Amino acid sequence: MIIEQFGEWIVGFVGGTGRFSRFAWVSTFASFRAMLRPKIWPLVLTQMYYIGVKSLPVVMATGAFVGMILALQTYDQLYSMGLQERMGVLINLAVVSELGPVLAAVMLAGRVGGALTAELGTMNVTEQIAAVQSMGTDPIHYLVAPRVLACLLLTPFLIIYADLLGILGGWFISVYQFKINAGAYWSYSASGVELWNIGTGIFKGFMFGGGIAVISCYKGFTCREGAQGVGEACTEAFVGCFITILFLNYVFAIVFDAIYKSLWPARSLL
Amino acid sequence: MVKKTVQPEDGILVVQNLTKRYNSRMVLDNISLAIQPGKTTVIIGPSGCGKTVFMKHLIALERPSEGKVFFKGDRIDDINERKLARIRTRFGFCFQMGALFDSLTVYENIIFPVKQHFKIDDYNALDKLVKQKLALVGMDGFQNQYPASLSGGQKKRVALARSIALNPEVILYDEPTTGLDPITSDVINELILKLEKELEITSVVVTHDMKSAYKVGDRIVMFHAGRIIADGDKDYIRNHPNDIVQQFIHGRVGEAELAALRFGGTRFETQFAPEDFE
Repeated sequence: MIIEQFGEWIVGFVGGTGRFSRFAWVSTFASFRAMLRPKIWPLVLTQMYYIGVKSLPVVMATGAFVGMILALQTYDQLYSMGLQERMGVLINLAVVSELGPVLAAVMLAGRVGGALTAELGTMNVTEQIAAVQSMGTDPIHYLVAPRVLACLLLTPFLIIYADLLGILGGWFISVYQFKINAGAYWSYSASGVELWNIGTGIFKGFMFGGGIAVISCYKGFTCREGAQGVGEACTEAFVGCFITILFLNYVFAIVFDAIYKSLWPARSLL
Repeated sequence: MVKKTVQPEDGILVVQNLTKRYNSRMVLDNISLAIQPGKTTVIIGPSGCGKTVFMKHLIALERPSEGKVFFKGDRIDDINERKLARIRTRFGFCFQMGALFDSLTVYENIIFPVKQHFKIDDYNALDKLVKQKLALVGMDGFQNQYPASLSGGQKKRVALARSIALNPEVILYDEPTTGLDPITSDVINELILKLEKELEITSVVVTHDMKSAYKVGDRIVMFHAGRIIADGDKDYIRNHPNDIVQQFIHGRVGEAELAALRFGGTRFETQFAPEDFE
């Protein structure tokens, strides 16, 4: 009995992974092809508006609060050591390389991922996806590719905004509330934060954005019937996106660290 | 009677030994059927007997577990989505709930298949096309409405207009009259007849509405538990000796179900009535 259940679980897991991988591959491929097809561009722009432009306020607010709270929490500790002028390095490094990208992506997963799954899930339940297919149009091209492309292209920009507001938030609290010398704050920040940190943070944005879109669309396409089915799909999509973001972030931390250590010292030779 | 196997050339749409299983549940069991061009074939049967699943196989929205599907002599169940897309443009599929895109207006819904397959910049021509298709189903003037603001019958009519947007050779109707009042049902029936007559379209109608089946059907096929149990014209079906067929067409409950109802009783050991809570 237990063995049977375990076997069933394994078969389900392997099958699900396979289906997701195939979906991810097909939709990534379709997204790149969509870039070459002008017919799809208006759809991409519409999605960019919903996914990107409309997410901007919430992502910026997230960034600003992250910067501000980092300043508030670190001041006392650094002040006791007399290092308060170096707060900028700590705040800006944390915002630019980790907190900005991850928290912006999490906000996007909640805002965009849930909406994508609910929209596509409802379309699936009301046979609208089958209708697209029955009229000779590939639903992956028409529905998934524009969403994946919009997420992929705009998440890095949203992360830049989150970073920017995080930096400003940290600066505002440090300089105006804690009266740290602005010149010292910025010069320490500039010496501590390298282009590499900003670049990797933004690169992660591409991966997070693609991940969010593919997972949410997959959950929408495979959602079960009924209101409960759509609800469950949304929950699963958000949890899936969230775990994927954290996991990818961890993997990238290791990978980028290795690359940095082996390549970055050589930059002076270039 | 020896059952003759159907050949790919026997009709416009031919299904050969089609079997469909979901996990281990058998939904369609070795079905062979040839659909004649220019005629209306009605598929009847109780809910859950596999009618809709069968129809989805006709344009390969579902792939068979076993067996083959042919359209005009060419096999369509094993080809890739891109080739299928070309074939699907020759079909119209009218979904049970209409399946109109609710983010698009009626106008945009109808030009959707046209815009997907043709590059048309002449907006006057498109306007004219939409107007003609909507006029055919009696819905001209609703161009700028969203599906959410239409009634059930109106949605089905717009869905019908959308499925004929590409001038298909075959239209598949999935329960076209279900959930409509008797008059609107009859309007839909008349529409199906009109399209068949005026555009010489082959129609396949899945329904459990016998009135509709008798009205539009040139040939009626009855499904039961994933198999074909009766196949013939109206009179043949009316006088079919099989008890299951007679029960279905007269909407009569079977002896077994009646017995279960009779002996089940209405007094239960535990009763919950409003006064129990006082």
